[in-house]
Amino acid sequence: MKKIRLLMAAVALVLSVGIASAQNVQVRGTVTDASTGEPVPFASIQVKGTMQGTASDALGSYVVSAPGNGVLVFSSIGYTTQEVAVNNRGTVNVSLVPETEFLDDVIVVGYGTVKREAKTGSIATLDAENLAEAPVASVDKMLAGKMAGVMVTAQTGQPGANSNIRIRGISSVNAGNEPLWVIDGIPVMSGDQGYFTNTSNAMTVVNPNDIESITVLKDAAAASIYGSRAANGVILVTTKSGSQGKAKFQVRAKYGINQFANDNNYRVMTGSELLATRRQAAINAGINPDDPTGAGYFPYSLLTREQTNWLKAFTKIGNMQEYEINASAGNDRGKLYTSLSYQNTDGITYASQFSKIVGRVNTDYKLTNNLTLGSRVNLAYTYNRDTEMQALYYANPFFGGLSIYPWTPFYDENGEYNTRISENNNTNPLYNMLRDGEVQWEKQFRTQASMYLEWQPLAGLVFKTNNMLETTNGEGRRYWGPDPGDSEGTLQTSVTQYVRLTTSNTATYNTIFGDAHSFRAMLGQEAMKELFHYYYAYSPTVDASIPYATTSIATDDQIGYDYSAETLLSFFGNVDYSYDQRYYLQAAVRADGSSLFGSANQWGLFWSVGGSWNISNEAFMAGLNWLNLLKLRASYGVNGNNNIAAYRAYGVYGAAAYNGASGMLPSSPDNPSLSWEKNYTWNVGLDFAMLDSRINGQIDVYTRDTKDMLLDKSVPQTSGFSSNFVNIGSLNNKGIEFQIDGDIIRTRDFSWNVGFNIAFNKSKVLDLGDTNEMSYNNQIKHTVGKQFYTFYLKDYYGVDPTTGAALWRAKDPSDPDNDDAYILTTSYNKARYIYCGSPEPNFTGGFNTSLSWKGFDLSAFFEFKGGNYVMLTEKRYLNSDGGQNMNQAATALNYWKQPGDTGVYPKPLLNNGTNSAAATSTRWLERGDYLRLKDVTLSYNFPTRLIEKVKLSGLKLYVSGLNLYTFHDVEWFDPERGINGMGSGIYPMSKTLVGGVEVSF
Amino acid sequence: MKKYIVILVLAVASLTFTGCKDFLVEAPILSQTTSLTLGDYNGLDKAVTGAYSPLADGSWYGAMYVLDAEMRSGNAMRPINNDFTSGRMTVPYTMSYNESSTSGLWGYAYYVISAANNVINAIDEKGDELLTGGVTQQDVDNLKAEALALRAFAHFDCLRLYARTDGSNDALGIPIITTPQSPDEMPARNTVTETFNQIVSDLTTAESLMSPSYARSGGVSSKCYFNLNVIRALLARVYLYKKDWSNAAAYATKVIESGDYQLWTAAEYPTVWNKDAADKGGEVILEVYGAASNDYDEYWEGPSHMTNPIGYADCAASFDLMGIFEEGDVRGSTGIRGKDDGKVMFCTDKDEKSLGQMWTMKYQGKGKGDGTSTPDFSNVIVIRLSEMYLIRAEACVNGAGGTALSDLNAIRSNRGASLLSAAGAAAVANERRLELNFEGHYWFDLARTTATLNYDDGVVTRNLDKSSNYWALPIPKRETDVNENLVQNPGF
Repeated sequence: MKKIRLLMAAVALVLSVGIASAQNVQVRGTVTDASTGEPVPFASIQVKGTMQGTASDALGSYVVSAPGNGVLVFSSIGYTTQEVAVNNRGTVNVSLVPETEFLDDVIVVGYGTVKREAKTGSIATLDAENLAEAPVASVDKMLAGKMAGVMVTAQTGQPGANSNIRIRGISSVNAGNEPLWVIDGIPVMSGDQGYFTNTSNAMTVVNPNDIESITVLKDAAAASIYGSRAANGVILVTTKSGSQGKAKFQVRAKYGINQFANDNNYRVMTGSELLATRRQAAINAGINPDDPTGAGYFPYSLLTREQTNWLKAFTKIGNMQEYEINASAGNDRGKLYTSLSYQNTDGITYASQFSKIVGRVNTDYKLTNNLTLGSRVNLAYTYNRDTEMQALYYANPFFGGLSIYPWTPFYDENGEYNTRISENNNTNPLYNMLRDGEVQWEKQFRTQASMYLEWQPLAGLVFKTNNMLETTNGEGRRYWGPDPGDSEGTLQTSVTQYVRLTTSNTATYNTIFGDAHSFRAMLGQEAMKELFHYYYAYSPTVDASIPYATTSIATDDQIGYDYSAETLLSFFGNVDYSYDQRYYLQAAVRADGSSLFGSANQWGLFWSVGGSWNISNEAFMAGLNWLNLLKLRASYGVNGNNNIAAYRAYGVYGAAAYNGASGMLPSSPDNPSLSWEKNYTWNVGLDFAMLDSRINGQIDVYTRDTKDMLLDKSVPQTSGFSSNFVNIGSLNNKGIEFQIDGDIIRTRDFSWNVGFNIAFNKSKVLDLGDTNEMSYNNQIKHTVGKQFYTFYLKDYYGVDPTTGAALWRAKDPSDPDNDDAYILTTSYNKARYIYCGSPEPNFTGGFNTSLSWKGFDLSAFFEFKGGNYVMLTEKRYLNSDGGQNMNQAATALNYWKQPGDTGVYPKPLLNNGTNSAAATSTRWLERGDYLRLKDVTLSYNFPTRLIEKVKLSGLKLYVSGLNLYTFHDVEWFDPERGINGMGSGIYPMSKTLVGGVEVSF
Repeated sequence: MKKYIVILVLAVASLTFTGCKDFLVEAPILSQTTSLTLGDYNGLDKAVTGAYSPLADGSWYGAMYVLDAEMRSGNAMRPINNDFTSGRMTVPYTMSYNESSTSGLWGYAYYVISAANNVINAIDEKGDELLTGGVTQQDVDNLKAEALALRAFAHFDCLRLYARTDGSNDALGIPIITTPQSPDEMPARNTVTETFNQIVSDLTTAESLMSPSYARSGGVSSKCYFNLNVIRALLARVYLYKKDWSNAAAYATKVIESGDYQLWTAAEYPTVWNKDAADKGGEVILEVYGAASNDYDEYWEGPSHMTNPIGYADCAASFDLMGIFEEGDVRGSTGIRGKDDGKVMFCTDKDEKSLGQMWTMKYQGKGKGDGTSTPDFSNVIVIRLSEMYLIRAEACVNGAGGTALSDLNAIRSNRGASLLSAAGAAAVANERRLELNFEGHYWFDLARTTATLNYDDGVVTRNLDKSSNYWALPIPKRETDVNENLVQNPGF
């Protein structure tokens, strides 16, 4: 563990965190390699018994202030730690002896750590040092664009919401595509656990600042030790543990504001724009807009009313604040790390808030020389509130803000908020937010508590048992107050509970024999049981003055209950072998039994093999001094996926009440042969480092076949079911990933670092059983030979320049099979369907750069995606060609006005029945490429000599901006619309600006 | 220390290896396996109760099957004043049907058909095995008759929505499903005649199996289940659609002469619609129960809300319809919502802001909600006695013998309408519209009689004759996508 910490310190320096700063010179020297005489850069030099210390620079030189009678501790990854007394010397040169066991960086992998050099699979790691500065609520938000092949998509911009993570594309239709999260060695629950709100991301349980490192296992070789659940990759999170020495405290505070992000200035019409359009639409439809008894009465007098920008009225500037204290202490027997943090985000509406309190205690204690006991305890309380902010609810302030007529009065005749808003179903989102926003919430209490015992009876042999209890207890409340004049409200309450028990037991043996043979073997067993239940009460008649279930009339109340249980039993093992730091072999096998599958097919066997060749350690490469590392890796393996709902293997009748009597209805067909979905992955990779390791990077090429896919196959409803869950079909993802980092300037006072990563992935459906296509929804299909998600839409042509009518391409009756031949039609029903792009990006990635000078640090991080299409089905309402009685997008002003007009929207018609704005149309498909300036941070570390005087060991100030600007061409606030590109009516992104201070003592 | 390690290792080992097999068994505790449900009489009985529940789905009697049909037919319209529209029901109002935007009845109809087939199949397979614990053959026959009638009923509603019933009998009907299906089967459409024949066969078999005294027990209202009268009333209706005039008249007569139903009087007529069937008295033969406790409940989208000016209100009465009632006919009586509830059949909004727009009071709700913060619920009448008189009258004018005049006047005399002196086909059709408007009949009447629909309310115009494709609505695209043998209706 300590080695990992040191690695992090070293990486942090590479990334110019700027720990070191100018200070009084007392001791200088050079750190060299005892075997080669080469300088050792980035070695840690610490004054024993204090917090003071520094690191050697690229040439191995260092300067540190230390007492004359003090002792300096020199350490570096791969070298034996050395202690040297200062003895009042001004120069101390040290030669560090290479450590055979740790010749390179170590990284956390499944059930252990490995030397970075020894890895055979595709692994990405993330230094967590800087993550604490980002104004986010959960760790998943910090991964976006940071690692090649790890795509993080925000489903919504609402604070506390879950994100969708796809590692190397999409592998599964139904068995889930989210990676497995493993925290401190135990697979944990993830995803959204809320009942009413969708802002109960399980990952908020972890305070980002408690994280020491994040490792993402991308290919089969790396992940298959997690067998059954590794198909979508594994994210390993390791939290901090204490360190030896004097107790260290850190206090952090940050405060910031957030604001609606609308970099393209998307807007709806003003009153006068809209009125002109509505009047024209009425006239086009043969309706007199000045006839008060007609169906299209839009007189000019509407403009004499006060006009309202509803979106502006419904949104505000939000704010976020976060406070934290953490402490770390230890001696040669025990280590302690503990932290407590509070975060609160008030969103950009009047009823979106997310707050959390997280506490952690990590302990490690050596009971005897060969027995270690430790625990990881994390407790969290989250509170979030909202009104209906997803989808096209009338109460959704973002859609209501677009759709309400500008001339609709803001206040009613009594001076109250107007709720007679017919174009929004008499719903005023602002009124709802203010009325219900305070009383509609989800509270969650989360526990992750684990204890481990490690026994090392012999050198190299370690037995470890690690046992975790994980719980989420949630309580939800949704309340609709009475409308004006009524006295009864509607109350819904929920109680949810998730419990997961895991025991993980391993035996590991490490040995080195002969000259250069290194061998590691591990055997393990794991068992997991997860229980879930909820109670739900619906009380439609509560007294508004006491809005709790007690005042409800019992006969109107309804109770819901659900329960599910799931178990998993696993046995696994792996073997690593390396020879002479040149050849590495790795094999892993895991057997998993899952209660989710039919009795005949519960067990799945997963395995992988991998090898790597460190070419740069070959004798024939010895002359190439500029090349520090060149390693070729290859692996193949099979992983499983069982991420499906419980009981899908059982054919059941479910309760179906009718007429006050209980009845039973078929709810799923029998499925005894249901079994694992499997992923077969090839990966070939190359790691390199050159020019004094100033430039390092990796390239990976992979192909992944998903077979025996768990498909919820659409079946004819004449069977009594809409779908049947079966193992059929296969899917392929292939791609290339490239990541490079470079230290362009690396001097003591000034450094400049840039990094870039990009990943290309393309999916292809290979087989869907006895059919060639499956509908995902009305706009997307899965079709053999095409990308997994492929839009399948009516082929919109444009506007007939002579009449202004919408035109579609239809199959040419004389040549119906030729896609290039078509005829034009004004009938939507006759239009042909075409495949037209995918919401899956062709490439994703990011680049970052950081500059540091003395104590200043400036870093910027960009994220990008490209080649994907998004579908804006909201436009069927907001660009409705006169069909909808609501405000319209400003872009709808560009409609057909006279013969000859081309490139315009169709002629608007009041109550348009032509389907010109139908949702399933290429008309609403847009390119989704974007480049987002995700994060800019400027920080300053005060020089030690200044803060020493006030007994501090560190003082840092910073400002940071999130989502500062997004370059895109989508006709909407933001280009991100979820994995399927369709997220309609979602809470938009916000941009956040925070400032913070961090004090260490 | 070693002692502890040994204990720990033993503890872990015992946890690991005891009950490995049981550890991986997690059966659903909140549902019942199919074989268990269909294994005995009680299970089958519950499976029949459950098979009724989708009738209350929104695409059926919950109640867009009814209200969409009224909208298409021109009995209903979207309110002129936009303050009363929510954008719902746009498709039937503007007739913008396409294969992605069409009625979802198909899936629910076949869901009921498959639930019924499971019961029928299990009864046939199990035979005498079911006769334990005092269960008699008649008990089992009653169950089977109910399941057969449900199967016929679902086929019939599906047929008249997605197929032409205008007498072009070789036209595409719907797939006839009479056995439990595997999900791989892709049934093709039968002809209209074949479908009708199957429906009649199921209903006549049900008639022969069911005991005259049988009524399903349990539940709030016995009028929400099929008994022998319901089966005969359905047969009357099916024969009418099939243009088998003598059988239509004969079955209508059987129901009329059963003595179990009485026509409402003019005084009763406006007072019955907010009640459960048991309290409605006289006419109701079959209705679909409305309640939040139903497994299928449309909540805000239910019929009470859609026809209430303080609800979504999108389904108002058309000016065309309001113009056909004569003075004094209680069926056309009008008033103000909130003031004249239970006294009249059409009401305008209480603030009278709707420019004289009227909404039907047939779904005024049972008083379980206020329409603004909680929805109200209505029972939706499927068959009532007046329809039997009207069926017999129509059969008469088409040559089944007897005279239509007395049947029409039997109704009119109980509605405060003037008595007719002669009755031809047009009078029968008009009487059906007067009596059964907003109960989902007029559209299908137009369709089966090859009538022409000319509608113009200044907002939308609809001129449909025999050549129109809308008489058979498009089958949902998801079905034609997954069943290559299924032919889409022409024009979609």
